[in-house]
Parts: sequence; C-alpha cells; structure tokens
Amino acid sequence: MSDEMRPNDEAFNERIARALRTRERFDDGFEDRLIATLRADHEIEARFRPAARRRGPWWREPVTFRVSPIAGLAAAASIAAIVILGAIAFARPTPVATVAQGVRDTVHVVRFVFVDGRAKSVALVGDFNAWGAKERTPLAVSGPNGRWSATVVMPPGRHEYAFIVDGKRWTADPFAPPRSDEFDTSSSVIVVGD
Amino acid sequence: MSTESDGELVAAAIDGNLSAFAALSRRYRDRYTRFVVRMVGSRDEAEDVLQSAFIRAYRALANCRDPGRFGAWLARIVVNESRTYVVRRSRRDRRLVRDVIAIEQIVATTTHDADETLDDVLYAVDQLDADQREAFLLKYVEELSYEEIAEITGVGVSALKMRVKRACARLRELLEEVHDVG
Repeated sequence: MSDEMRPNDEAFNERIARALRTRERFDDGFEDRLIATLRADHEIEARFRPAARRRGPWWREPVTFRVSPIAGLAAAASIAAIVILGAIAFARPTPVATVAQGVRDTVHVVRFVFVDGRAKSVALVGDFNAWGAKERTPLAVSGPNGRWSATVVMPPGRHEYAFIVDGKRWTADPFAPPRSDEFDTSSSVIVVGD
Repeated sequence: MSTESDGELVAAAIDGNLSAFAALSRRYRDRYTRFVVRMVGSRDEAEDVLQSAFIRAYRALANCRDPGRFGAWLARIVVNESRTYVVRRSRRDRRLVRDVIAIEQIVATTTHDADETLDDVLYAVDQLDADQREAFLLKYVEELSYEEIAEITGVGVSALKMRVKRACARLRELLEEVHDVG
C-alpha cells in the first residue's frame, strides 16, 4: 500500500478537515481551575514533605519526623492517583470522564466532580470527613452547565461518600458502586490506591 | 497578556510562581484546545484532559530542556495525554453506549447531500483508532507537516503517512456507510 495520496483523496481529506477546523475555546476560568489544583498540590507537598524539600537527601543528616496517622498512611503509599470521579444528577445522559493518573509518589489526591445544573451548593461527605459531622467539604463551581468539583487528599483504602445538594438533598454517585446502610440510605464507594 | 518570554516564565514557574505558569497556560491553551476536543470528542472531557496535560507539564517543568521552545515541549505532553485518555476510554464499556447514541444521532440528522454534515464527520473521526485519529487531526486539521508531527509524536514520517492514509480510507468508508444508512 503506497502512502502517497491521490488528488481526489486530497480533496476529500480537505473537505473533511474543513468541517473540523472550527475554533474551540474554553472559558477564562480555565486558568483559575488549573492554578487552584496546583495550589492544592503545593499545600499537600508542604504538608507531607517539608523536611525532604528543605534538607535534601535524608541520609545526609539525622531527622526526626512527627507523622500523623493519615500522613503515615499516605507516605506508605507507593503509587498515587488523581481520580476524576463523575457524578451526574437528574439523570443527565452525558457520560462523565473517570480518569486515573499517577501524579504523586506519596499521597492520594481524589478529584470529585458533580454535575447538577440547578444546584445552588454541593458538598461532599464521607468516612474521610466524619460524614460532615464537623465540616462538610464544599465543591466549587468548576465549569459550565452546573459542573462542581473538589479536590480531596485521602488515605488509601476503601471509602464511602455521598453528595449533599443545596444543604439538604443526600445524593449518591450514580457512576460509583453503591452501598446502603441499615437505614437504606444510599452512598457510594471508592477504592483509593488500587 | 504577559510580555515575558517563554524562558522567563518557565524559570519563574519552576521557582513556584503560579502566575507565571498561568500566563504560559493563557499563551498556549487555545492553540491546543481544538486538537484535544476533536481527539477526545467531548468538550467536558477535553477540558479535563487539557487540565491534566498542563498539570503534568507543571510537574515536569524542570525537565523542559529548552524553555524557549516551551510550546513544542507542551505539544508533546498534550498529544500524549489525549492519546492515553482515548485509549483508556476505548476499553470501557461505555463506548458501546456512546456509539449507539452517535449512530442514532447521525441517522436523525444526516442530510442526503453529497457533502458530509459536521455530525457525520465527528462520528466518523470518533471511530478511528487513536493513532490514526491523532495523525489525521495533526496533519489535516492542525495542518502540521509530517516532520513536525514526527517531532511531537516520536513516530517516523513513513509510519505517519501510512496512518494518515489508512485514516482517510476508513473515514471515506464510514461516511459512505452513513450516507447509505440515510
């Protein structure tokens, strides 16, 4: 098979390509979202690896670390991931991406994304924040069409969570494995670090 | 718009200046948005992919050997990230559902003109293998030379020509099928 195009092939390709050359552009909040993620990453870095950054190789000098249980679990992890986890309310048919990427060698960062065009506020609760007993994790508007997201540092393992819409509506993630408790309240399950 | 050179912005970003990196993002993201949207086939997913590419680039800034050519270095990351995403997604079951919906949309919207509608074309491009789609988009939509594509993808020029030729043959086949259905 020759790899050269014939003139009528070129004309066909050009016709196809012309349809695809329409300009595409994301809104100006793109950089805000990018920098928010990078800033969160910096904070994680400062929280989990300050000594390593300042002092250089660990074998050069004796260092005593004080590590919280969560930090200990995180530091024990060998692989980290950002998981963009999609959830769509009101049975919107659009599929939402679920992406896992290795990004950090000591901690797990999970990005929760929730889409609900009518929500005025969205919060995340789960076993990792005591089901919001002290503080719920708020999601921020992160895109058009009611797209909300929050980035959370989580220890590895199996976790259960749910979203609370407008401060009162409990919503499980339709794209994650479900779990019901003894009162038939549905929540969702995520496994971090596998 | 920032007036500093790419090299100056990269150096500042390596020092932790996030505003400098935001300036690099503003300078380059529009250039790559169309490719990512066409490659991924969905604007929402494309934004996630492009965000991931910039995050990956930020973390690897120290490995950018020629900061003056940040744009070319970033292009490799964007193309890689898009390809990886498409390959992973194609392994998921959701693909079948997407195709059924896409076919229904095409049947509903196809005109019987000789020219293809945008929906026809988007559907056909979405059916290509990731490698063929990438080569076709870079060659005919982004209008890069084979040498430029080779530099971005790390694939040889003859292999790229073959991918593009196969992509075009497949597109023709798919679009003829769509018109037959219509």
